[in-house]
Amino acid sequence: MIFPAIPGASYRRRLFYLRDLVHELVARDIKVRYKRSVLGVAWALVTPLAQLLVFSFIFRLVLPTRVPNYAPFTFCGLLVWTWFQTSVLLSAVAIVDNRELIRRPGFPAAILPLVTVSTNFVYFLVALPVLLVVVLASGIQVTPAILAMPLVMALQFLFTLCLAYLVATLHVTFRDTQHVLGLFLMLLFYLTPVFYDAASVPERFRLLYSLNPMVHLVGAYRTILLQGSLPALLPILVLGIVGTVGLRLALAIFSRASDQFVEEI
Amino acid sequence: MGDAIVANSLGKRFRRYHPDRPRTFKQALVSGVRHLRPAEQVTVLEDVSFSVAPGRMLGVIGRNGAGKSTLLRLVGGIGRPDTGSVRTHGRIGALLDLGAGFHPDLTGRENVFVIGVIAGLTRRDVAARFDAIVAFAELEQAIDSPLRTYSSGMQMRLAFAVAAYTDPEILLIDEVLAVGDLAFQKKCLERIATFRSLGCAIMLVSHDPAQVRQLCDDVLWLRNGRVAAHGAAEVVVGQYVAEVGQETRHRTPADLPVQLTASGAELRMNETRFGSLELEITGLRLLDAHGRSTDTIPSGAALSVQIDFVAQQSIPAPIAGVTIRNDAGVTCLDMSTAATGHVLPTVEGRVRAVLHIERLDLARGHYFVDIGIYEQHWAYAYDYHWHVYPLEISAPFQDNGILSPPHSWEVYRPHGPEGSGPAEAVVLDAGSGHTA
Repeated sequence: MIFPAIPGASYRRRLFYLRDLVHELVARDIKVRYKRSVLGVAWALVTPLAQLLVFSFIFRLVLPTRVPNYAPFTFCGLLVWTWFQTSVLLSAVAIVDNRELIRRPGFPAAILPLVTVSTNFVYFLVALPVLLVVVLASGIQVTPAILAMPLVMALQFLFTLCLAYLVATLHVTFRDTQHVLGLFLMLLFYLTPVFYDAASVPERFRLLYSLNPMVHLVGAYRTILLQGSLPALLPILVLGIVGTVGLRLALAIFSRASDQFVEEI
Repeated sequence: MGDAIVANSLGKRFRRYHPDRPRTFKQALVSGVRHLRPAEQVTVLEDVSFSVAPGRMLGVIGRNGAGKSTLLRLVGGIGRPDTGSVRTHGRIGALLDLGAGFHPDLTGRENVFVIGVIAGLTRRDVAARFDAIVAFAELEQAIDSPLRTYSSGMQMRLAFAVAAYTDPEILLIDEVLAVGDLAFQKKCLERIATFRSLGCAIMLVSHDPAQVRQLCDDVLWLRNGRVAAHGAAEVVVGQYVAEVGQETRHRTPADLPVQLTASGAELRMNETRFGSLELEITGLRLLDAHGRSTDTIPSGAALSVQIDFVAQQSIPAPIAGVTIRNDAGVTCLDMSTAATGHVLPTVEGRVRAVLHIERLDLARGHYFVDIGIYEQHWAYAYDYHWHVYPLEISAPFQDNGILSPPHSWEVYRPHGPEGSGPAEAVVLDAGSGHTA
């Protein structure tokens, strides 16, 4: 059993309960963040749109690139990256910011990184229709391949969650995890084809470059949305296997450490 | 059905780390990772065994740092015991940290759902109990306002109300019964009594021996993480109270010559003076509003209590306390540095502490100012002077009772509808009697 069980509750009830718990905590985070603003959840779009504007300016006017349909191309990359980066960054404080919840009997600490990743997934979903509009406005045909999107999202969720657990565990011991992480994520951002095409990476660096799972995830979204075809199966399969094994491992590490959270925070 | 809680020779150690333990990657890079492992372990609980049957209430008493809260947490499944085991049967409800999960920007309604789910209910459960929760908290009017508009008492009421509707089979309570006003406290205690009659097993951690004696069936007394006594509430609480008093008397040296205070009063060991004298009170002066030494002040005037003491060795974080008692021995005022959260530094040598009371609205009469300096956990007194320093409160007239705040009377015949105010007011000014 991954989560500490509430004694006397059936497995089914427990599952319902965890779903409700994630639901309430995600809703709380979203409400708290946007309650007192006019734009509401639409704020989630502001950062990627602003970035899109800047990148479009630079790579169409200042340093023109050969990438066709640059706006949908980059916007897709930005949304995927924003979900990933924000989730990992905020998971660092998921435990420390919720110390009073961790100290409640029966509260499953393992739910907190999941809540962080889910909250940012909601923002991603909110932005998705806008991405579709941008894609259609560029004259690109959307094909049934789009039905494969949920699978890619599930993979990204899995992969992000792995990192979220590791980062949350680390932060309890090292309080500057978030700063170090900020640096690491900035570097990874440039090593992910967000605003450029992965195809322009020289052949001899290709293998090293493709060790970054985000390369394949961003690529898969683009294949589906911009080319209208199914993404390559092999990277998806590998990601799925690595993600599943990685999650078990990350959860094991997290669970081992979580008994000490109470004393540490 | 067996016991709801069974603890078997529970032991818990806390890891204490080296002060140079790196807390950030930066420090780890600079100083290396050699201090990452705990430097030593401190035993917090050792060999604690007990059980609580459904419908029984167990009180846990002991001094600060005796391991009470740690024990409660272990029972709640927070943290893992280092030795022994604890088994619980049934859904656990907790009144440990009321208000955990509250968010000020959300409305009362939204908060009820969040903390209800955090407390172990499903959303459907919360929805079904929602009206009852709000009614219990008496917050029907305010439930859709943001929580930040609530007073702290209202927040506590809401938190308790949610906890009260989680149907716990085991309830863990950590000194939170001082919730809100007296009427609401009574309601909480009644609710707890209901739980008990429905077969809920309850553990209550408290500093207050009287409360524990009144509420609990059995009491577990922890001393430095070990069980000092375990049994019927009357007996164990009696032993506990006796020991706390004894500790001071036991440490009071009997063969010290009688000393005289500055005003000439006698300090006789074990009569008017108690304590271990590791730290000695060398003088006390009562100062009026102008800083003049006095033993008579008018009612409502300011009073400063200046205590000089000397510590032969260094004494960590002692507690200073001042109590004013009247002729009949009734405590009128009881103030300490601990009560207001002041932590005194480690003292060594001569130290002066001054308590400033802005106004003392005591009724006319004779009082004594009793002073004490205590061990940092109230374990015993270093030096306690009882019935030594007299204080006279003067006032032009005598009030029955303890307090005499400034007051006046207003008497008039109301006109027309209620609230139209005094038309021909006859103000009978009783005179406040204060010299202000």
